Amino acid sequence: MEFPAALFPAYFGAGPPREEDGFAPAAGWGEHGQVLEGDPGPGRRQAQPAFVPRRGGTGEIWNPAEAAAVPVLPPSAGCWIPSPAPQDILYRNSRCRKLRVGKSGATLDFAKQLGHFFVDHPEDAFGSMGRLLHKNFHLGNSKLTRPARSSTIRMTALMEDIDRLEARRGCHRQHLASRLRWFSHLCRDWLFEVPLGLLADCLHEELMLQWSNLLFDDSLTGGALAWLPPRDTGSRTGCLVHPGGQAMNHLFFQDMVLEELPRAQGSPARFELSGRIQQVAAARVDGKDFVGVRSDYHCGVWRVPGRTGAAPTPLQVIRTDVPASCLTISPHLPGELAVCTQSGTIYLWNVETGLQKLRHDPQTMFFRDHSPWRWSDFTAHPRVLSCADRTGLQCLDARAPKKCHFDLFKVGEEAGCQQGERVVLPMYLGRAHPSQYLVTTQFSVYVLDERLPLVPMLKWAHMMKAPPLFAHLMPGDSRRSHKLVLGTSRTQELLLMQYWGERWRGSQSACQLAGTPQKLHSIAGCLQHLPTQLPHRQHLLQQRLGAPAAGLAAALQEDGTCNSMLVFQLSEAGDVFCQRLTHEAACAPAPTSRDEATTAPGSSPLFEPPASSPLCSGTAALRYRRWLRALSRGYREAPQNIWPPSLSQRRLFTRKELEGPTGPSALQRQVRQWLRQVMQEGSRIQHWEPLALQPVALPQPPEPAGGQDPLSTRLTAAWSGDWEQWWEDRTSFSLVQRQRALRERRRRQKRARARQSLSASFTSSLTYQSELSELSDAGPLLLSPGRPPIPSQEGSSPPGSPPAGSPPASPAPDEALLSSQSLRSRGIPKERRKTLRDYLSVWAEGPPDLPDLPGSQASQLCIPSSQSQLSSASQTRRKRPRMGF
Amino acid sequence: SSDEHKLNFKKSKEACLNYIQDAMLQKQWKRAAEFLTFYAESLEKDYSREHIGPSEMIWRIGTEILCHHSHSSMKEFSCFIEQMKTLGVKRYLKVCLEHVFHLLCNGQIDEAYQSLSLAESWRFGEQTAIQDKEMKLIQAYRGLLDYYSWSKQKNILLEHGLDGFADLSVEQEMHSCFRKAAMNLKEIIKIPGVWDLFVKCYVDLLEFYGDHNEAHQVLNEYAYNSRFPANPNAHVYLYQFLKRQGKSKKSLISALKILHDIVPSHELMIDFNTMLQKSKKRKKRRLGLEVIFAALDYAGSKENVKAWSCLARQVKQIVISEKHLDWIKQEWNSRKDWWPAFHFSRYLAKRNWQENKSLSYEKALVAGILLGKDCKYFKYVSHQGCKAQVKRFRMLKKFVNRHSPVYLRISG
Repeated sequence: MEFPAALFPAYFGAGPPREEDGFAPAAGWGEHGQVLEGDPGPGRRQAQPAFVPRRGGTGEIWNPAEAAAVPVLPPSAGCWIPSPAPQDILYRNSRCRKLRVGKSGATLDFAKQLGHFFVDHPEDAFGSMGRLLHKNFHLGNSKLTRPARSSTIRMTALMEDIDRLEARRGCHRQHLASRLRWFSHLCRDWLFEVPLGLLADCLHEELMLQWSNLLFDDSLTGGALAWLPPRDTGSRTGCLVHPGGQAMNHLFFQDMVLEELPRAQGSPARFELSGRIQQVAAARVDGKDFVGVRSDYHCGVWRVPGRTGAAPTPLQVIRTDVPASCLTISPHLPGELAVCTQSGTIYLWNVETGLQKLRHDPQTMFFRDHSPWRWSDFTAHPRVLSCADRTGLQCLDARAPKKCHFDLFKVGEEAGCQQGERVVLPMYLGRAHPSQYLVTTQFSVYVLDERLPLVPMLKWAHMMKAPPLFAHLMPGDSRRSHKLVLGTSRTQELLLMQYWGERWRGSQSACQLAGTPQKLHSIAGCLQHLPTQLPHRQHLLQQRLGAPAAGLAAALQEDGTCNSMLVFQLSEAGDVFCQRLTHEAACAPAPTSRDEATTAPGSSPLFEPPASSPLCSGTAALRYRRWLRALSRGYREAPQNIWPPSLSQRRLFTRKELEGPTGPSALQRQVRQWLRQVMQEGSRIQHWEPLALQPVALPQPPEPAGGQDPLSTRLTAAWSGDWEQWWEDRTSFSLVQRQRALRERRRRQKRARARQSLSASFTSSLTYQSELSELSDAGPLLLSPGRPPIPSQEGSSPPGSPPAGSPPASPAPDEALLSSQSLRSRGIPKERRKTLRDYLSVWAEGPPDLPDLPGSQASQLCIPSSQSQLSSASQTRRKRPRMGF
Repeated sequence: SSDEHKLNFKKSKEACLNYIQDAMLQKQWKRAAEFLTFYAESLEKDYSREHIGPSEMIWRIGTEILCHHSHSSMKEFSCFIEQMKTLGVKRYLKVCLEHVFHLLCNGQIDEAYQSLSLAESWRFGEQTAIQDKEMKLIQAYRGLLDYYSWSKQKNILLEHGLDGFADLSVEQEMHSCFRKAAMNLKEIIKIPGVWDLFVKCYVDLLEFYGDHNEAHQVLNEYAYNSRFPANPNAHVYLYQFLKRQGKSKKSLISALKILHDIVPSHELMIDFNTMLQKSKKRKKRRLGLEVIFAALDYAGSKENVKAWSCLARQVKQIVISEKHLDWIKQEWNSRKDWWPAFHFSRYLAKRNWQENKSLSYEKALVAGILLGKDCKYFKYVSHQGCKAQVKRFRMLKKFVNRHSPVYLRISG
């Protein structure tokens, strides 16, 4: 192999990376890097030396054929379950958001998740205590009968409060749920049996894991999509290997015919696996394709025979104890693979001879990094494997892995890295040049040559918003540049870059970046070109198309004069989209760049009307229509996932409010009777009797009947001369009416007052109860702010005898329940007795009584009272030491 | 409030930058240029403390756009760069250097030289480590351009010298170029790095003036100083220098031996093997076999006919002489589990036969000896060869059949 006669000048330093740098949005532009003297041409030197830049040389021009990526396969059957989004596990609160501004740290919604645990696993959380208490809790609407009342309390109001709390989410007046808070204060340390500290630790750990996965999920590294190119140069049928199914645990081998847009041919070969497919790797050795599949705990290898249509054969499966993080296939020897696990072990896996452990090192190579991610790939020498962690790459000889190894890449000054830079994806570029290697980090891409380790042949800041987890190489030759497509997962970015390698069959020269990088369409980008959908469907579509990318593959298709490139992208939802690019020099004679078409500075393809986009070309539009139809059909078939929007009434109104009047009123009964009568007679009702409505229309002076309006009656009377009589009649009538109305009102007021005093005395009886339970703690009586002070004699009334006017509901049986002896006899430990007493005493109070009042009154009356109860409890408790002192 | 204002400004700045990036990544240079004019406003209120501030971004983006915009000219480009140079003191040298690269790539060598001289005379306060490096590079590139003008004058002089006419002023100018070039080039190659271009030029200068010791020392330093990266070219240059100097075989071999240790797949390994095969010493011939086996381990030399014929020749020699069969055995031991699949599969036999008959001949010879006459590769190729009635394939078959016991001894 020839080595370039001269390399681009570069400084070489050893040590940790420089400190100053960070992510820079435009770092990849505007630099030539270095220059080198180009080929002087045959014969003697030219008069002037010609220079070539390391970056900024000319590359091939590839133009997208469509305005967006087009689906190549029908959407996978069954619904897709989206992975957790940031809003699912982050704490969302305005106050918190304010705090977070400027800080990069996120607050995990720990409390919500812990709450989910109690809701999702109530049996584990409250099982035995629930069984213990369930006789004493009443959840129905009916009133408790006397014998039951002695040992049972109603929890209905509490349940309603819980329901209302759901409905009130986002409401500012959250303090209204004080009843709940109170409840939780009272029983949070004894109600559930799970050791809370332990549970919280586990949950926190899991949340951190989920969050770090959301920030960067490295399990997808390498991508789960592979393209097996056509066998013969003339053939156009290749094979797409991709995962699918609801859990992405089905492996499909789909034959594809490369036309203007690739078309599926026949039904795919399908294998069901026992885990989610994280990576699909493929390599062609000796004319046979080998496909490796990695899921968390299993790795498998398939062989795809040479002729098209033949079914792929599974060769071998291995199981790992620790999740595998890498699976690569040797491009040199058939049936040889490299496997890495997160425990830091690297294996060479030969289908015939089995596994050979090459290295086991849980520590990272060059400096300490917490990530357990490991990667391994092959090199130009079939017995030498590279092994990578986040800090760099080493090459080791499988024949003597302990002794023979050398450093290929180090995150450090050697490669001019930045601080915090980490290896994301290493890839052997053997098809372009046998000794070249690609390393991507979150900031840059590096092309390395294993013959000159540590010094990158090429370095370029890729400026992608997320670390590139996927890469696909399309090798060129001595005339054509090597094409490299990089892909990210969460942001779905695709970037096409080209480089001139060391041309190992022609004249050799150092690596150069060719042309400018080019952004390709992402799956989500097609959303703007689709017809407008119904809002909920639009949302579903948005979610579906915006799913993180899970893989990338590409194919070059040479078709006479026209060269085209097909780039496939797989999403986590299992959708495979494809876009075609055409090589300009060969295909389109008109060199007008797309740039000229757009006019206003504010315009972007985003704002262009879809009509102007070439997407409306027949095939693509048809593909889209079919895909959308299949997608919506899929959603319709599985309706359990889209709940129809529903609103619980119980959250908006109290039970009492919802309960209608017990029976038809007298008026209704009368009207019904009329109706029935009229129907029997076959006549009509001329007009409703206005007098019948009189109890409702109290404040208005009622009008006498007669079919005439008061004015005409009065006029008639005036006309006939007895106007005085009319006035007399009228005043006497209304006087009777008014008197009656007044009486009625007074009666109502009385009734209301009675009720009010009743509830007031009831509350006071409660205070008395808690007092009772405190036994000696006769603290000062509570004064609730919203109510007149309670008469002092209530406080001085002897214990045991309920104050006058308190309803029989005041729980004398509770006393028995609350007495120390009875609690002890029930086996409740001493330290919990008081809590339980507090709790029961509070809940003996009547949710049953409260709904009798109109809602607004209830909130004014009973809730402050409960607050004051709470404060009293703390007050008395606080006082205890002083009294003992 | 001003905080909010800052925040909003930052947001709109980012949005604008995103638009620019988007346009550039889709090669819409005109649109990007339009957005850049808006982005220039961010210079006025530069609150950022990021290491790449707006001014650097404008320089980078502007340069990129001007390189690709259909209506830009070199003059406009230079004008833009001059403005950029004044925008940031810290970046001055880098902008100069990049400008020089642009001029050089566009063939404007004289302008580049002027720009380099100007940059070299620039002084501003204390230099940071990076600025120091950039200054050294500027000087080195100036030295390189001086070298080119030296070599131009040297050519003129040599041509005229042949005519019997010597120009004193040209000669003087040439010497002054030499001095300037040598001084600057000498400086940079002391610092660890990859300086292939500079080393080559400096050695050329030294050799012309007959300072072979200095040249040898420079190349030795470049190849063997452990602070420098293990650059194969350093060893190649040293080897070529030694060869030009007509140095002894021994020193050539030792130079190549080190190259072999670093890069066993290097193309010079074939020369090395030929050199070693000719040697009288057993040890050297043994090394030769090792070298050629190692070279063929690599995927890059899988189809290298020269390498295969070297191996075939040496193996044949050993088999005929029936001495040192253990050498083959030793080499083969570490390869016998993977070479058959890597080199001698039936698929490769077919393909090699179709693509390159002489390659398949050499490989079949090696396969026949190493794997016996029943090996797939040998069987296929010899069969095809006999069918095509090629004489040497028949000879090959005969040869392998005659020496089939060798296979047993190697594999046993």
